[in-house]
Amino acid sequence: MSMNVNTRPADVMPPWAKAITLPIILVVIWQAWAMTLPETSPAPAPLKVVQSFVELTASGELVWATLQSLGRVLAGFAIALAAGLSLGVLMGSSRMVRENLDPIVESFRPIAPMAILPIAILWFGTGTPAALTIVAYAAFFPLLINTIHGVSRVDRQLIRAAQTMGISRLRIVIAVVVPAAIPSVLLGSRLAMGVAWTAIIAAELAVGAKSGGGTSGGVGQMMFVFYAYSIDLNGIVVCMIVVGVIALLIDRLFRLVERHLLPWRN
Amino acid sequence: MPATMPKQRPLNAAVLPGGERGAAVPPQAATAPAARYGAGLFLRVWRSRWFIALRSFAIFVGLWALLAAWVASPLQLPSPATVFDAMVGLARKGELLSQTLISASRLGVALLVAAVIAVPLGFAMALSRELNAYLDPIVELLRPISGIAWIPLGLFIFGVGGTLPVFIMTYVAFFPLLLNTIDGVRDIDRKLLAAAKTMGVTRKAQLVHVVVPAALPSVMVGFRIAFASAWAAIIAAELIGSPSGLGFSIEWYRQLLMSPKVFSFIVLIGVVGYLSDLVLRALQRKLTPWAEGLGIDA
Repeated sequence: MSMNVNTRPADVMPPWAKAITLPIILVVIWQAWAMTLPETSPAPAPLKVVQSFVELTASGELVWATLQSLGRVLAGFAIALAAGLSLGVLMGSSRMVRENLDPIVESFRPIAPMAILPIAILWFGTGTPAALTIVAYAAFFPLLINTIHGVSRVDRQLIRAAQTMGISRLRIVIAVVVPAAIPSVLLGSRLAMGVAWTAIIAAELAVGAKSGGGTSGGVGQMMFVFYAYSIDLNGIVVCMIVVGVIALLIDRLFRLVERHLLPWRN
Repeated sequence: MPATMPKQRPLNAAVLPGGERGAAVPPQAATAPAARYGAGLFLRVWRSRWFIALRSFAIFVGLWALLAAWVASPLQLPSPATVFDAMVGLARKGELLSQTLISASRLGVALLVAAVIAVPLGFAMALSRELNAYLDPIVELLRPISGIAWIPLGLFIFGVGGTLPVFIMTYVAFFPLLLNTIDGVRDIDRKLLAAAKTMGVTRKAQLVHVVVPAALPSVMVGFRIAFASAWAAIIAAELIGSPSGLGFSIEWYRQLLMSPKVFSFIVLIGVVGYLSDLVLRALQRKLTPWAEGLGIDA
């Protein structure tokens, strides 16, 4: 739409060139800054980060830690999915259930997942079950709330049509309400996986920090070991990048599924 | 009316479930006219929102007490009564208030800093395609890295203390504010802008009288999401890397094995978070009463 016809170099740059300009400048400045520091400085530098990434990948440590964290996220997500879906369908389809449980759900929602970590540690110790509790708790709310939203927003006419045909309440829920709620549930799943991934890093980090470096593993734990024991800031940056990339992949994967299963949206 | 259709905003959908149902008499009541006249007052109280909430809480606390009695380990699950006692004790000592104020002031500073950076930047990025082409990629590169993942590096840079939670929260609050501002500015009704242009309104006046008011509801939504994310992040940041605040307190009393106090602080975190959202919602309605017409749900 731009009416500009002048040909300053900035305007003839293709979009991808503009996209990478700033990141490249920042990385170059970062590297230049790091090179002015003495060799013994622990400060991270782009080249050292790359080197660290290659080493950690070659030794298999990074892959293993990532798989461990992902496994926990999936397990916690599965628990949250079972609980969130069943409760969500109940609360979405019955006004009575919803009115009675809403106050309880709403009062738990502002309690951050990390706030219940101390309780989880009191109950389960500093192992995997404590981390799973946090993940499941974090993932539960987006799943529940989006399921309720989807179920209670089902087209009334569809339900009335089913009722006219004399179908039982239970079958209406299974055959009409649940399929209509799927878009909302998928959205809830995507959000839930996002917060679950954040929560597992937090939980591993904190469990590591508070248990004096247990052997629980995972990317968060790895970051903590780099922080507290080997003082390897490059390793920490590698972990941060991995956290970002996995988060991005999870998001894209769910969006892909949404588009594939629900082609009529958009 | 396609213009008022709620937009597809994945971020908001999770945070803003519709509160569309009032406490009015449900349609089923019409089928039982006798009940409506006979025990009208009783029914109205029985069906009122606050009574239902109160009843649910009573049942919840009752179940908790039963479970606590069954577990019989005050360390793992203290009874509601002991938690209440601990809470009263902590409140008397002023600890509840002082720790809340510490966390709240960190939160306030972080939200302020994030808003001061993100909102003008959002306007600039939405209005200038050129700027957006340069900045958007770096935003999208950083956004997937959660605030939590910055904690170890932040600990190195800032050390254990009050700066780390502020840094983490500013980072966390920045993205929803920025993205919602950009969305709000981009989704402005083109007709409004065209009308202003036709009337020969200056660019500055267009910005002040058309763009800003039209984008503000979306900015407010961003602010509420930013608050919710920051509220979750502060607990993690304080728990790991701060010698004070609510997040620190729960972990501190966990290490001292004083479970009733741990539970007290968790309850407090929930209450403060809930009340703050209530205040933000009221503020949102007050500041941007026109939001409803734009299909942004409050």
